[in-house]
Amino acid sequence: MEGSKDEGGTLATTGVEDEELRSLLFPDANNLPEVPPSAVEYNFVRYYAIDFLKPGHDQYVYRHANGLCVVGLAPTHVALKEEGGVTSVDFNVGKSDRSEMKVTGKRKRNAQHFETNTALCKVSANGKEFIVRCCVKGSLLEVNDRLLKQPDLLNSLADREGYVAIMMPKPTDWLKIKDSLSSHEDYKKLRGLV
Amino acid sequence: MEHTRAIPILGEKMYREGEKKREGNASVRDLRAPPTAFLFGSNRHSAFSGWKQQRRNLPAAPLPVCARCIFRLFGVLGRAYSFPSITDAVLKSFLEEPDNFHSNAGEIGCGANGATFVQFSNSSKETRNVQQYCSICLGILQFAHQDQELMKMSTNRVPVDDFTLAIAELVKKEDYHIDGFSIEVSMPPVIVANERAVRLYMKKKYESEEWFSAKFLHEHLSVKDALRTSTTALLEKHLGDVSDSNSFRIRLTYSHPEASRRLQSSLANNLSGKGAKTVMKNNVNKANDSYEGILRNSEQQTCNESDAAILRALEGMQDHVFYECFTVPPDKTFKPCHLTTTCYRMPIYIGGRYLKFSRNVSQTCWMVDDERIGEASVEEIVGKNILSVCRGDNYKFHAAGREDIDVRMLGSGRPFLIEIANSRRIPSKVDIGLISEKINNNDQNHVRVRNLSLIGNEAWTLMREGEAEKQKQYAALVWISRSLTDGDMQNISSLKDLDIIQRTPIRVLHRRSPLERKRIIHWMSIEKISSSSQYFLLHLCTQAGTYIKEFVHGDLGRTHPSVGSILGCRAEILQLDVTDVKMDIFN
Repeated sequence: MEGSKDEGGTLATTGVEDEELRSLLFPDANNLPEVPPSAVEYNFVRYYAIDFLKPGHDQYVYRHANGLCVVGLAPTHVALKEEGGVTSVDFNVGKSDRSEMKVTGKRKRNAQHFETNTALCKVSANGKEFIVRCCVKGSLLEVNDRLLKQPDLLNSLADREGYVAIMMPKPTDWLKIKDSLSSHEDYKKLRGLV
Repeated sequence: MEHTRAIPILGEKMYREGEKKREGNASVRDLRAPPTAFLFGSNRHSAFSGWKQQRRNLPAAPLPVCARCIFRLFGVLGRAYSFPSITDAVLKSFLEEPDNFHSNAGEIGCGANGATFVQFSNSSKETRNVQQYCSICLGILQFAHQDQELMKMSTNRVPVDDFTLAIAELVKKEDYHIDGFSIEVSMPPVIVANERAVRLYMKKKYESEEWFSAKFLHEHLSVKDALRTSTTALLEKHLGDVSDSNSFRIRLTYSHPEASRRLQSSLANNLSGKGAKTVMKNNVNKANDSYEGILRNSEQQTCNESDAAILRALEGMQDHVFYECFTVPPDKTFKPCHLTTTCYRMPIYIGGRYLKFSRNVSQTCWMVDDERIGEASVEEIVGKNILSVCRGDNYKFHAAGREDIDVRMLGSGRPFLIEIANSRRIPSKVDIGLISEKINNNDQNHVRVRNLSLIGNEAWTLMREGEAEKQKQYAALVWISRSLTDGDMQNISSLKDLDIIQRTPIRVLHRRSPLERKRIIHWMSIEKISSSSQYFLLHLCTQAGTYIKEFVHGDLGRTHPSVGSILGCRAEILQLDVTDVKMDIFN
């Protein structure tokens, strides 16, 4: 099935020749929104921890329907306002280097259990250091080690590819912390965003 | 019930000759027969005198053994067993010694060199006396068991006839359509012990006799094989079918709790530790065969660990140890076995390809907290239709891969198998055609099937084989954060066999291992959507096991490269359809 240069829908380009099938595949153009919801908006519920332990330390917690939480810097975090932006990220905080740990298996039994205040990493911007914390109590499944080589991800894509870590809280622990977090709407209002 | 009787033991060859001449008086030139055993024809007198002489050698405790077990002890094979009723008359014609069988006598001893005897029990007194059953087979080869309906046990009926009729009735009751059957038998290990005890007893007594090695060390039928041989012809007659290795199984499970318990404790006393424990394990589910249990055990001769342990212990036991553990010869038995008869058919398979047109129908039944996700499932729509036509117990759905609930399965469809347990009938081509129509013409029209057909077990391996190598083809509706250019289209089309690495997607990370998976995108092509500059259809062909949605939106950078990273912008996927599952099956 080679691709060819023509733009039309022929067998050569699409691998689909059946007319009936092709008609099924094409969407109703009138129903297409101008900007569709992003994968994050569609699959997660967005929560925010505002002024977490320190003023201006705003973080997000994206919770998936399966209970996993993606944690990162909210757009209004002070570190992102520094001149030059974030220049480096170090996961070696607290008692261990978070980027060294390897979680294995379906049950993820060897994951470390952290509290809401536990430090995940420190972020350097304009000569200052900012601590990023878990915000939820639970097992740490993964840290975004791409931040080591590409700290700049935090400057442009902190809300997506620049996420910091993935946590797995127990259902009861989530229920306890949930109410102390703000919804996306409340966050926007509080921070005066559009 | 067939009676136990006293019978002089004759040479094996004699019995075989006897088979051929049930009514005849032909003489038998049997050079191998024991010199003083009963012979036909002209040698009668010498044998007779020898017999009278030996009358004094009566053993103290006579031993009840049924006719078929007697046959077995002496290596009789073949058609003798299928004779419906081995009455005295039949034996007489075998032995041609009417004088030695006094129908109303209590016990007869007939000692002769090379002969032993077993007890002769009285037919007309059975209602008053306590019944005795064969010490070896505990009534199995007498077609007696504790669960018989009393009314059937009248003396003029032929036991094996009643026995086989009862089985046939069970089959008919469930309205099975069969084209054959095979019989499976499960017996308590105590029977093996009984047989060994009798053999040891006879060996001890007659080892020194000339005829012993000729007769006794022959191959002989087991109780199971004798049971099968005895009943097969009649079952074939009642069921109208031939017995061979067939998917329709009739399972006869015999148990004798009393005798088994005695055996267990005798053994346990002589074994140590783990052996004793395994032997003493209770066979709770013996009479209670679940369907799954039956399937699991259908190839095995024993039902459970305890039986297997007992048989192993017996096998490994030396004769002198055996003498210590058991009574030789075995004690009399006053109760026959319990019998549970079950019949079932081995699973049948119906396969084909399915298409799914709805984004609200899951492939398999999906429940979360007792609530169904989605409207319906392919599994149930297809499975229930097939199950009802086959009149089976339950169905299992197996598919070559799967798609999310919101992903449609189009094109040639995805191969699947429905496994039907214990079907009462096997659907014909016409039946299958009707099932297809019913599913396809349903008004909701969420699911369609193609190339539906009955298949054998080989389809199973075909499905699984090469599943990981198979390629799948998709069409995705993609949006990007800027306008599409011609350069983009060429860029995408030029990529062949692109390697990507996918970390376990966040949406399944809660239940799957965190891994990095290498996958291949074989080819891609963009089809423009005329009314939009930022939406397009992405056609792609990928290795099995690729997460397509994550390949489009990048899963926060955890799938790399992704459509977004290739085009240098944000990409989102709105909908996904599977357009082809490339497999060599059900095409």
